[in-house]
Amino acid sequence: MTLEIDRITKRFGQTVALDALSFSAPRGRIFGFLGANGAGKTTTMRICLGILDADGGEARWDGTRTTDLPRRAWGYLPEERGLYPRMTVIDQLVYFASLYGEPADRARTAAHRWLERFRIPDYAHRRAEELSKGNQQKVQFIAAVLHDPEVLLMDEPFTGLDPVNLGLLRDAFLELRDAGRTIVFSTHQMEAAEALCESLAIVDHGRLVAGGTLAELKRTSRARTIRLGVEGEILPTWLGTLDGVAAVRPAAGVTELELRAGIEPRDVLAAALARGALVTRFEVAEPSLEAIFIERVGRPPDADDVVAEDGLERAGLAAEGAA
Amino acid sequence: MARHDPLLPNAAIVARREYRDRVRSRLFLISTAILMALALGVALSPIGLRYLDRSDVDRILVVADEPRLATGTVATANGIMNIPPPGVDLATWTAPFAIEPALDRATAMRELAAGEADALIDVTRNADGRLVVTYRTLGPPDGVRAQLAGFAALSVAILDWTSSLPPESQLGEFRTPEFSTEAISGPVEGGQAVDAVLVASRAFLGTVFIILMFISILIYGMWVATGVATEKSSRVMELMISAASPRQLLLGKVVGIGAAGLTQYLAISVPAVAVLAFQEPIARAVLGDAGAGLPIGGLTIGLLAAYGLFFLLGFVLFALIYAATGSFVSRPDDLQTLSLPLSLVAMAGYLSAIVILLGANGTLAAIASFLPPLSPFAMLARLMVGTVQPWELVLSVAILVATIAVVALATVRIYATGVLLYGQRPGLRRFLAAARRAG
Repeated sequence: MTLEIDRITKRFGQTVALDALSFSAPRGRIFGFLGANGAGKTTTMRICLGILDADGGEARWDGTRTTDLPRRAWGYLPEERGLYPRMTVIDQLVYFASLYGEPADRARTAAHRWLERFRIPDYAHRRAEELSKGNQQKVQFIAAVLHDPEVLLMDEPFTGLDPVNLGLLRDAFLELRDAGRTIVFSTHQMEAAEALCESLAIVDHGRLVAGGTLAELKRTSRARTIRLGVEGEILPTWLGTLDGVAAVRPAAGVTELELRAGIEPRDVLAAALARGALVTRFEVAEPSLEAIFIERVGRPPDADDVVAEDGLERAGLAAEGAA
Repeated sequence: MARHDPLLPNAAIVARREYRDRVRSRLFLISTAILMALALGVALSPIGLRYLDRSDVDRILVVADEPRLATGTVATANGIMNIPPPGVDLATWTAPFAIEPALDRATAMRELAAGEADALIDVTRNADGRLVVTYRTLGPPDGVRAQLAGFAALSVAILDWTSSLPPESQLGEFRTPEFSTEAISGPVEGGQAVDAVLVASRAFLGTVFIILMFISILIYGMWVATGVATEKSSRVMELMISAASPRQLLLGKVVGIGAAGLTQYLAISVPAVAVLAFQEPIARAVLGDAGAGLPIGGLTIGLLAAYGLFFLLGFVLFALIYAATGSFVSRPDDLQTLSLPLSLVAMAGYLSAIVILLGANGTLAAIASFLPPLSPFAMLARLMVGTVQPWELVLSVAILVATIAVVALATVRIYATGVLLYGQRPGLRRFLAAARRAG
């Protein structure tokens, strides 16, 4: 029982947004869908929901084409956030739930429970425009889960949340998973993914570059994370001159290094000792998700060197208009 | 998309929200109240005008050198000038002219100068026995009235002449001729020729209907476009499009806003129509007996139904086009750019209808009455002046309904594509490209 993305291809004009993308997200798990902006995450979700048509391939849930499933099987948190500005929070939550076939009274009770949970019960009768961005985001999350869907597609759910709200949302994720729901969320924030997902897919330019459980990915990764402490040096600048050191993160008393394939941890230690550094700590840790991402994609996920997805669609339409 | 989404109940849920959202807004309430007051004022205006003009029964004095000529002139002028229109109830009909003999010429002239009388027919006799009739008015004479007075003068002369014939002459009794009019072509309704006065009244009513239809289609159409554009720009569309199908969203939007428009429309028109329907008793209460006589006639249930039908179909057609437009702009402000060409289309329909109401009845009028989006306006106009064969009406409605179906399909595709496209500058080329891709 899985959500299968089976060789989905999607083109916008000349631009290939998804290139025979395949992966599967197991039922009852939290699945991370990782990629930089423009990697094709939103397009994949829209195709699953039937908002866009794929040019090739299909998405299946439990063997059935996702577009054949009733809408209420799905809960969707779009990346572009928006509510009816002049409608009260409770009114629009009930309205959205009713579109999914949820009776008004049940939706109302559930909405109040969720607002309580997210510590905004007093906002039920406020207009959406009076809420802060973070609170609006929580209301949208509620709108996506109120009809108790089987599969949740969440597009960048953690962006723009403060640590407190981030915690509330993570707890909600875990609770929904424990209740047997399947959650697929996209993100370019590796810490959030590392903290939550059991399995994941890394996409780049519409292609799958890595997929599987987090443990598997870490085990098979040739990337190494090293924690190095050197007395008297907060940031050993010479580290940057070593070949194969991908990222250097200074922390208090210890520096974290991401190593690429081709350099071994002992090479770093040897280099340090050769310089006469007083090494106080040397630890080879399992690679972080960020390290794996860099290893597979070749650059960090927040590197802004790709066209935004909107841009792709725009380019596609303009190309057709010119044709 | 393979998913089968029945239109109900989601279209109804969307429609209900749209309806409430509009009807509860303060702008809606205020504009409805203002328009209601305006419409009432317009409906009451004929009575008001007649109240101001209630001495409109023309008083015509007759003065003559010979008493026999005076009584003769009063009688013939009455017979010629005060002819009740056909089919009028004589018990309630008031003669438009009060023709009475004056005491003497000096008094009559004084009354005329003071404005107490509207005209003076002065009959004298020349030395050679010829009658001289002068029609005196204070200001320039009204052509039709002067003409009527002329006919009366001729009749007086004939009577005067026959009375001068020798008594033994073999002359039969004078018989007034039978007179009727017959038009060989012209407005018909149910095979019966329509009276010209009725046609004039209907042309007036038709103009009112066409203007109302034009304005409402523009206003409520713009509501639809703005509604779609606002949902898109506030990004709430992202949630909506996954919760409901484009067909459900579009139908709900058009029906909900249409119903809100209809509510405003009824709130405005019901009091006004009630005033028009009861203008007879109202006029009597205000004006007394002088209030009798309908100033506006010719409105039938059939015409009202036709108005309702063409209004509805016209609104749906334009609302769909407006929705497609709204789905294509990024910000509601951009609609201003696109609303002009759209209103020009409605304007073409409006103008064709007005030309038909003014009497155009040629090939172009016929074509306009079959050609959407002109046909709701043009066919209604032709119905109002009564030049439509039943098959023409059926054909026009059939073409209109078929067009709506085609436009609806295209709009659903354009909408589904358009609502998720951001950052677009509105442009005809883009619009057509998407429409072609949709087709």
